[in-house]
Amino acid sequence: MQKTTSLITAGLLGLALAGPAMAQDFPTRGIEFVAGYGPGGGHDTMLRAMAKIIQDERIVDAPINVVNKPGGSSAVSMGYLNGHSGDGHYLMSITSSHITTPLTTNIGLTFEDFTPIARLGIDPQLLVVNARGPFQSLADIVAADRVLNVGGTGTATIEHIVAIQLGEATGNSFNYIPFQGDGEVVTALLSNQLDFIITNPGPAVDFFEAGHFKALAISTEARIDAFPDLPTFQEQGYDITLSLYRGVTAAADISDAARTYLTDMVERLSQSDAWRTDYLERNSVVPGFLAGDDFSAYLARTNEVYRATLTDLGVID
Amino acid sequence: MVDMLADLSGGFAGVLTPENLIIIFVAGMIGTLVGALPGLGPSAGIALMLPLAFGMPTVSGLCLLTGVYMGTMYGGRITSILINTPGDAPAIITALEGYPLMKQGRGGLALGISAISSFVGGLFGLVVLVFFAPMIASYAIFLGAPEYFLLMLLGLSTIVLLAGADLLKALLTACVGVLVSTFGSDYISGHIRFAFVPELIEGIDFVAIIIGLYGLGEVLYNLEHRVVLKLGKPSFNLREYIPGGRDLREAAGPTVRGSVLGTVIGVLPGAGATVATFLAYALERRLSTRPERFGHGALPGLAGPEASNNASVPGALIPLITLGIPGSGGTAIMLGALIMFGLQPGPLLMIKSGDIVWAMIAGLILANLFLFLSNILLIPVFINLLRLIQGHLAGVVVALCLVGAFSLSYNTFNIWVALVFGVIGYLMKKNDYPTGPFILAVVLAPLAENYFRQSIMLGQGDWSIFIERPIALTLLIMILAVFTIGIIGKQVVRRRQTRPH
Repeated sequence: MQKTTSLITAGLLGLALAGPAMAQDFPTRGIEFVAGYGPGGGHDTMLRAMAKIIQDERIVDAPINVVNKPGGSSAVSMGYLNGHSGDGHYLMSITSSHITTPLTTNIGLTFEDFTPIARLGIDPQLLVVNARGPFQSLADIVAADRVLNVGGTGTATIEHIVAIQLGEATGNSFNYIPFQGDGEVVTALLSNQLDFIITNPGPAVDFFEAGHFKALAISTEARIDAFPDLPTFQEQGYDITLSLYRGVTAAADISDAARTYLTDMVERLSQSDAWRTDYLERNSVVPGFLAGDDFSAYLARTNEVYRATLTDLGVID
Repeated sequence: MVDMLADLSGGFAGVLTPENLIIIFVAGMIGTLVGALPGLGPSAGIALMLPLAFGMPTVSGLCLLTGVYMGTMYGGRITSILINTPGDAPAIITALEGYPLMKQGRGGLALGISAISSFVGGLFGLVVLVFFAPMIASYAIFLGAPEYFLLMLLGLSTIVLLAGADLLKALLTACVGVLVSTFGSDYISGHIRFAFVPELIEGIDFVAIIIGLYGLGEVLYNLEHRVVLKLGKPSFNLREYIPGGRDLREAAGPTVRGSVLGTVIGVLPGAGATVATFLAYALERRLSTRPERFGHGALPGLAGPEASNNASVPGALIPLITLGIPGSGGTAIMLGALIMFGLQPGPLLMIKSGDIVWAMIAGLILANLFLFLSNILLIPVFINLLRLIQGHLAGVVVALCLVGAFSLSYNTFNIWVALVFGVIGYLMKKNDYPTGPFILAVVLAPLAENYFRQSIMLGQGDWSIFIERPIALTLLIMILAVFTIGIIGKQVVRRRQTRPH
């Protein structure tokens, strides 16, 4: 039945693929890692690091090739993967845009049109202030007697949602200003144009060491190894636990053999030392492996958070 | 000062191995080739070399990447001059003045002058990078959204100077340019505008527009008018291609001014290099005693922007190596590369991994020298190559443009964009609408818009943010000056012309 469905879907799309390649002996050829953004970006570097470690550590024998399908905030790569429904030889990196692009556009595909394989890690969100500024604790920020300027990357992004949730939790009103890219946010805080920023650790970590910045709270459920002295929002009485996920998904309707193979491959990858040292630590990503149905459920919850926020902001109806 | 020289000589000690010298030389050549192909710019060149670089020791890998980066800046001018097809936004001005020279049979001179000003610009930028990088970075961070907005506005105000005879036509094309630039997602509001197909969610790639407007538009126009380039007889005598003393003297002032402008503005993120070339052009045109020659192959209009273009490469590296903040598309990919090499870009990069950074800078200095020499030596090759394919030039240019458009994101969508703008470019040229204001608006308008909204948000609705900050106020006064001088200047010219009747 499943095979029939996939054949119909493929036929409707005018792409006569799928079907026959779905025997038990998976894989029958190399595996293609699909990056929805150009070379050098977050998706691309994660997939290349994965490919290198999988091959160096001989996790699987199948050759792996990373291809870039940039465009349309990952819409182009989603269309590409959708064109290979039923074929397990494609693995695509996903992060928030996998949820937000379908919500804000009419591409007609959602995360449910794919086979989520696993979450590989999370980028927790930090509340960061300039070390020489007037705010030295979350309590200082809550007690501020004016509207504070908060910076983050883009609108309706994880940074923005954390800022909104913080405002709701503390009863303060914050003036959120979207920037294009981490670099601009960091610069604006460095020169005191902002009162605080919400950011993932990557762009800020060196500034902590140099003494320029100070982190006041982190959005994980418990403190993390990289910042043992940094209290969570929850510890300080504000229930904010939101992080950006980094994961991988496969095409729809792939065989059970392919799904098991891909899940097993990324699970063994996530347990390797090389992955921890060469990818996670270098990019300040926190481990957070979550596979199969757990990952699907996580995506569904994340989808609801984004949908509610985007609706509140008036971006979607 | 002495410390920096000591660090730099340490850097040279790290770089000067036979393998590294070969890598830098080859990287420069690859960069020149990549930059010469329309559509492939610094970002694509660096990205293509990434897998290769990671197989190398850190210093060699970084030399490969920066060599390619520098090389693309030399390469960008070649297709601009030879076939009027800029590979990237900073090369547009080069086409504006270089291609007319080519049509007059002085293409060799254009390539020679632009190679020299590129070299001087790059060298100036590097000297500033070596001695003043930390100081410049510490000031640059105090520029915020209000200053960036006004800088973009200053760039846009050069439309008045690029306008040619008819200011109304220029403003009209600029308005259409603004409209074209609004396609795609708006990161400030989160809304997506005019995304009729998914490829438009991120907007129209302006490089595809440039390829169509200039490359394809020119081909269509030339086919109709049967334009033949004056290429003369084949000649490999290098002496014929080396610019004479008079030409060099004419280019000297603009080169120096362009170098300073490129270094200062190249430091700023976003459209630094593009704004720098347009401002350098506007400046030379304003200073020129014979502004009527601009647009018909004026050497100062070629030398100034070319110098600023190359000076912006080291300029863009300043925020990257001192703060870990990328100042351009190319350096954004370099940032990813530094992380993959296990370095931590940020304020401590120079302290923790100073030896590697200084070796990289030494590699850049060598790359600039190699590129200068090879680009001078290659001029006869380029000119004669063009002579060889002259009979089929239209076909070759169309092929290059289509491949270039395809390679922007490896799909056919951008080919259609280039074709559509090819027809538009042809119609604009036929009906005497200037393309400069159009493309300037496409590149700068979205940046101006976003910085403007950010400024107002930072000021929490208060407009005084534009006049309370000293640098912002200075920029505001400069914009007003450009407008008044531009418009009054045109009136004066018109009066003078009409008086005899």
